[in-house]
This record gives sequence, structure tokens and C-alpha cells, in this order.
Amino acid sequence: MSDLMAHPYHQYHPQQPQQRQFNPYTENGGTILAIAGADFSVIAGDTRQSEGYSIQTRYAPKVFKLTDKAVLAVNGFAADGNMFVKKVKQRLEWYRHAHSKDMPLRAIARMIQTMLYAQRFFPYYVYNILGGIEEDGTGAVYSFDPVGSYEREACRAAGAASALVQPFLDNQIYFKNQTPALGSAHPTHLPLRHVVELVIDSFTGATERHIEVGDSLEMYIVLARGRSLQGLEGLKDVRELSTPGSNGERLFVLRKPLKRD
Amino acid sequence: MQRLKAGEVNLGTSIMAVQFDKGVVIGADSRTTTGSYIANRVTDKLTQVHDRVYCCRSGSAADTQAVADIVHYYLQMYTQQSGIPPPVHSAATLFQKLCYENKDSLSAGIIVAGWDKEAGPSVYNIPLGGGLFRQPWAIGGSGSTYVYGYCDATYKEGWGEAETVEFVKNTLSLAMSRDGSSGGVIRMAVITEEGVQRLFVPGNELPRFWEGKEVIGVDQEKQSQPQAQQMEVEV
Amino acid sequence: MATPNVYRGTGFDFSNHNRNEFLSNKGFPVPKAQSTGTTIVGCLFKGGVVLGADTRATAGPIVADKNCEKIHYLTESIRCCGAGTAADTEFTTALISSNLELHALSTGRKPHVVTAMTMLKQMLFRYQGHVGAALVLGGIDATGPHLFTIHPHGSTDKLPYVTMGSGSLAAMGVFESGWKADMERQDAVDIVCKAIEAGIFNDLGSGSNVDVCVITPEGTDMMRNYRKPNERVQKERNYKFRPGTTAWKKETIRKLVVEETVTYISGNAGTTAAEGGDAMDTS
Repeated sequence: MSDLMAHPYHQYHPQQPQQRQFNPYTENGGTILAIAGADFSVIAGDTRQSEGYSIQTRYAPKVFKLTDKAVLAVNGFAADGNMFVKKVKQRLEWYRHAHSKDMPLRAIARMIQTMLYAQRFFPYYVYNILGGIEEDGTGAVYSFDPVGSYEREACRAAGAASALVQPFLDNQIYFKNQTPALGSAHPTHLPLRHVVELVIDSFTGATERHIEVGDSLEMYIVLARGRSLQGLEGLKDVRELSTPGSNGERLFVLRKPLKRD
Repeated sequence: MQRLKAGEVNLGTSIMAVQFDKGVVIGADSRTTTGSYIANRVTDKLTQVHDRVYCCRSGSAADTQAVADIVHYYLQMYTQQSGIPPPVHSAATLFQKLCYENKDSLSAGIIVAGWDKEAGPSVYNIPLGGGLFRQPWAIGGSGSTYVYGYCDATYKEGWGEAETVEFVKNTLSLAMSRDGSSGGVIRMAVITEEGVQRLFVPGNELPRFWEGKEVIGVDQEKQSQPQAQQMEVEV
Repeated sequence: MATPNVYRGTGFDFSNHNRNEFLSNKGFPVPKAQSTGTTIVGCLFKGGVVLGADTRATAGPIVADKNCEKIHYLTESIRCCGAGTAADTEFTTALISSNLELHALSTGRKPHVVTAMTMLKQMLFRYQGHVGAALVLGGIDATGPHLFTIHPHGSTDKLPYVTMGSGSLAAMGVFESGWKADMERQDAVDIVCKAIEAGIFNDLGSGSNVDVCVITPEGTDMMRNYRKPNERVQKERNYKFRPGTTAWKKETIRKLVVEETVTYISGNAGTTAAEGGDAMDTS
């Protein structure tokens, strides 16, 4: 996991001083992404965890359910990520005990910021993407850097293949470099089915061209209170995590195999 | 001086050569490593450079193979031009010249041993800097550091072939058990006026010494020591 | 007047060395070469040799080629798998292949596998590891089947089964547990295939398909994409863009059909233009 030497082969020069340093961080590969719709939010990640050229496990979840309407994706150094999610969940439980309700999404986002910045000089080596439903019923995505800078966005990709996926999202979600046909305009929000398909294609594409992405895709779908299941019909491998028929937000998970090479 | 280049294949080795009345016995372990990976577990580090002259190679595999190939070529030329087999000393001097003149770019520790008409059996040690030393016995490679004391305490002049073979076998087994960069099987060769006999001790039949009672069991003393067996030689 | 030097020597051109060293001292990153973070293997069997390779080429963590060819031709009965810097494996094998052909022509005999091995090791040793080619060499000659590995610094090993590249440990695990002496052809192909697949699935540097090459005295059978365990899946959506999607700043339409008016200097149009020749067909 950690390496006592900065480089695998150290050149030895007797005259020059040698510097050695303990490095507590490693990069465990994988990619996460989230897209917000008008009344839903989709948060996804692959499940491969790797170090160097070796696969540590083919199933290590990077996306976690926080509350009925908030899902957090964590990517980077896996040990830090798991610890961070554990601490976020603990804070949310304290909140539940104190206030007898779940913390609102925007409050979770602000809490994550302070938790990350508290470690400003020994940071969690992770990129966080928080997705879910706001109190006003809109889908939302918040993305964070490792020390707590964050913003609300319509979509975000992070992790090993972010440089491959984000430009694709910019083009397909924000319609960057696409001129609309004369007399028409691009939609501000895409329908759920369209978004799910974009997410699947993002990951199959990233799997083909990035060696650290693969094994399987885990996608969480959060629907706003009272929203119909439109867009989920006919989708294979979908499972509901919330109580079916409850009148609150509804949470679904879609698992799909990716290439394993 | 940096000894081994990054990613280079290493013969982190135990090698040995001992003179006896009628010839020399040479031996080596069989492990070749790249970092902690064993790239070859049945390596033959005893390289024939002429009919009665062998070298034991330690250090960089690439460097020692290249040097041995060059010496092999020169000795063939020597025989063609002079019509007689080269003295061991000539072979050793060729090795020494190459190792000394290219000391900055080579990591090669070589033992040259063989038999010739003038000197009979002889052993030459050519350590890292390119020196040349005639010795009655020589050990080399990373594993040798563990067994200098054993050799000093055990070696006697005037041994015959069988005793010398046992000495080489025991020394290498001890070195291989202590040195992580050495291991595998023991390959040996007995070079006399009559010819060269290759010997081979498989990894599960190496001579065993003290390993702690838990490992050995109490009846260890009664176990017979396995004999070296004839090795198959590719022509 | 100074004239540019047009002389080109043989071998590598080092004329950019000083400039590039200056640039990298300024902090300008050195471009990274495509490498075949690879699984390549070879295995002897009863009367022949089998070589195997995966087909992924990478540049850092990015897959540069999903179906490249790593089993290179040296002669009809000698082939060589390459791992390491892609360009180095391609050029060294191409150069040695050329020299072996010339060698065969001048001796009137088929080259031996040891000859190929010696030429490769001497070249790699000369470049002291800077030519980053890690090779598995296999073939058949007058003395039978042979199999070697050649490391980038020029050291060689002769073994009955070998693996190289970043997936070599995964592949060697398969050989160490399943290899037997004097296997039948199909058993050898199966274990080679299994070894490559171990590399493809367990080593991130290796991937995509399995190439296998069987060399016997009867001939060489190059089985490109012998197994395809990683076929692309159908995408969920079509990404076709409407014409006019790309923004433009200026529009000019050029007429590509050229019209010519032909004026006859002598003679009449439609009749013979010159004596002894036919009229040019201007249709």
C-alpha cells in the first residue's frame, strides 16, 4: 500500500545526498461520475480497486448511500475514502439523533467542506461527488476537491478517467461545441433514461481506453418525492433500495458488468 | 560507483572454485533475479570458454555473458592460430583485461578455473574492480560473504576429487540457505586432464545443516547425505 | 554560403540530444513512448514451440492500441514476441529480421535460432539497456526447436517455458502449475492461451485478445486473435451529429471543376493537328 522509497529503482551517487521519505498515500484508480436531472440525480462509479498494474479487488464500492435522498461517491486513495465516508455517516447519525430528521443535501455538502478543510495540511486524498435531491425537490450534484472547495453542478466526473469522461459529459450534457439547429435550443435538463444511457456509455468507453477502469458499474438513481418511475421501465439489473411505494424520495441501484481486462 | 543498472538482471549469486591434486571443482547456485522476482531458477552460471577452462559468473547477467562470449571467441582464435589449447592463465588474463579496462561500465565478478599442461589445475579470482589473483580456492557472489569462515575453517590442502566435491557442495548449500539472492539447485563441474564431468544436485536434495530442531526433527543425524548425480549435458 | 549538411550516417541520430537535454532541464516534460506493458510467453512441446502474446499497447494508464501485434516475424521458422518500448521491439526485430535474411542469402542455409539470439543480445548489450526491448524468441532450425528470453540489457536465458512483460508473473504462475515435458501440440497451445489470459485479466498492462504462433518442422501457424475474450459491447446510444453541429466563422464555396478554353495555334479544330500524329482527345 505505501512505499518507503519514492522511486522503485534508486540511483546511487555517493557524493550526492539521498532523500528518502515515507509516503502514506497511494492512488487506487477507478472513476466516479454524477449527473443531476430536473427531479432526479444519478451517481455512479466502477468497482475496480487497483494499485500499480495489479487489481486489489474487482468489487470495492465507491458509491455510498448516506440518507434516503443523498448519495456520496468517493474516489482516489481508497483507505482515506472509506474512512471519510465512515466519518460523514457518523456525523449524519448524530444529526438524526439531535434533530429527528435527515440532514438536507445542501447542509451535507457544507459539512463535507468543513470536514475536508479540517485536514488542510494532511488531506484525505480523495475526490468527492455528492448527489441527491434538494429540499425543493430538484436533482443536485456537488463536487469537491480534496481540501474542501466545492460547487453545485449539473454533472461531474472524477478519478482516473476523469480526463476522458468529463469532455464527453461537457459535450453531451452541456452541449459544448454543439450548435443547435436553427430555431431550436438545447434542453436544460435531460430525461432520466437518456442520462442513464450516457452514464453507461461513459463507463464502457472509459473501460476500453483506461486500464484502471473496469470490472463492474454501480449506479445509484435518486428520484424526487412523488416522481413517477418513468425512464426506469425495461431497465435490467435495477433494484430498489428504498421501501417500495413510500411517498418519500426513492432510491434505486443498477449494477452492470464491465470488461475485466 | 553504481554497480547495477536499473531493472538489470542480476546473478545475486553463490559461486565457487577449488583446486585439488588432479583438477578443479567448480560450482554455483542456479538463481537469476530481477529485483525480488526469480527470472530463472535453473540457470547455468558455469560457462565453458574452452575445452578445459570454465568461468563462474556473478554480477550482471548481461555483462558477464557478454564478457564470457568475447573470451570464448578469443580462445577459439588462439587455438586456431597456435594449434595448442590455451593455458588457464591466458584465459584469466583475457577476463581480467576486459574487466579492468571497462570497470566503469561493468559489474562482473568472475572466477576462472581449469586445467592446462603447464600449471595443472588452477583457480583465478577476478573481483569487481578487475584484479587478478591466483588462489587454491575462491568463492564469489553475494552468498559468498556468509561462508568465508566456513571455508577458512574447513579447507585442507591435498584433497582428492570426492572430498573436494563434498566441500563445494556443502559450502554452496550453506551460502544458498543464508543468502536470499542465491538458491535453486547446485550445478558443479569437475575439470581434469581426462575431461569435464558435470554434476547436479536438485533443490530438494541439498546437504542440510542446522536449521533448528523444530524443522529438522531429532533423527536428522541418521539421514544419509545424498550423492551428487550425473547431469544431462546438451551438446 | 553555408550549405546544410545532407550526410546521414547509419544507425541512430543523436543530433537532438543537446536540445532535448536543455529542454528537460528547463522543466519541459520528455514525451512518453508507447509501451507494450505486456504479457508474452513461449513454451516448448513435442517437436515444436508455441509463442503467445496479448494485444494491448499502453501509454501510461491509457490504452493506445486495443489490438496490436506483438509476435514479430524474424524468419519463416523463427518468431519473436516483444515487450517494453513498442518502437524498440518493432525496430530491433525488423533490423535483425533483415540481417537474418541477408545471412541466409550469403550462407545458403536457414538461420539458426541461436544466431538470431546472438544478434539480438549483442545489439541490446551495445545499447546498454537504452533500447528497451524485452523479448521471447522461439523457432525451429536444423538442430530442433529452441526457446530463449532476451532482457533489455542483453542477457539471455534458455528454458522450456518462459514469460516476459508486466504480466509475466501471472503467466508464469500458470506454467509453474501446469507445464509438462513433451506436451502434445494442442495441450501446449492451451496452456499458452491460459497463461496469456492470466496476464490479460490480472495485469492492468495487458488486455484485449490472445495471439498464438505455433512453429513446427512442418511450418509456422500464426493464429492472430486466437481468442477474443474481451469483445466490445454495444453502446446504449448513437453518437451521430447533425450536419451543421460544428460552429463556423466563415463560409466559402469553391468550384472544384476546372473549365479550360483550348485555342488551336495551327490547323483546324477537329482535324489532325500534326503530321504523323493523331488529334489529342480533349473530351
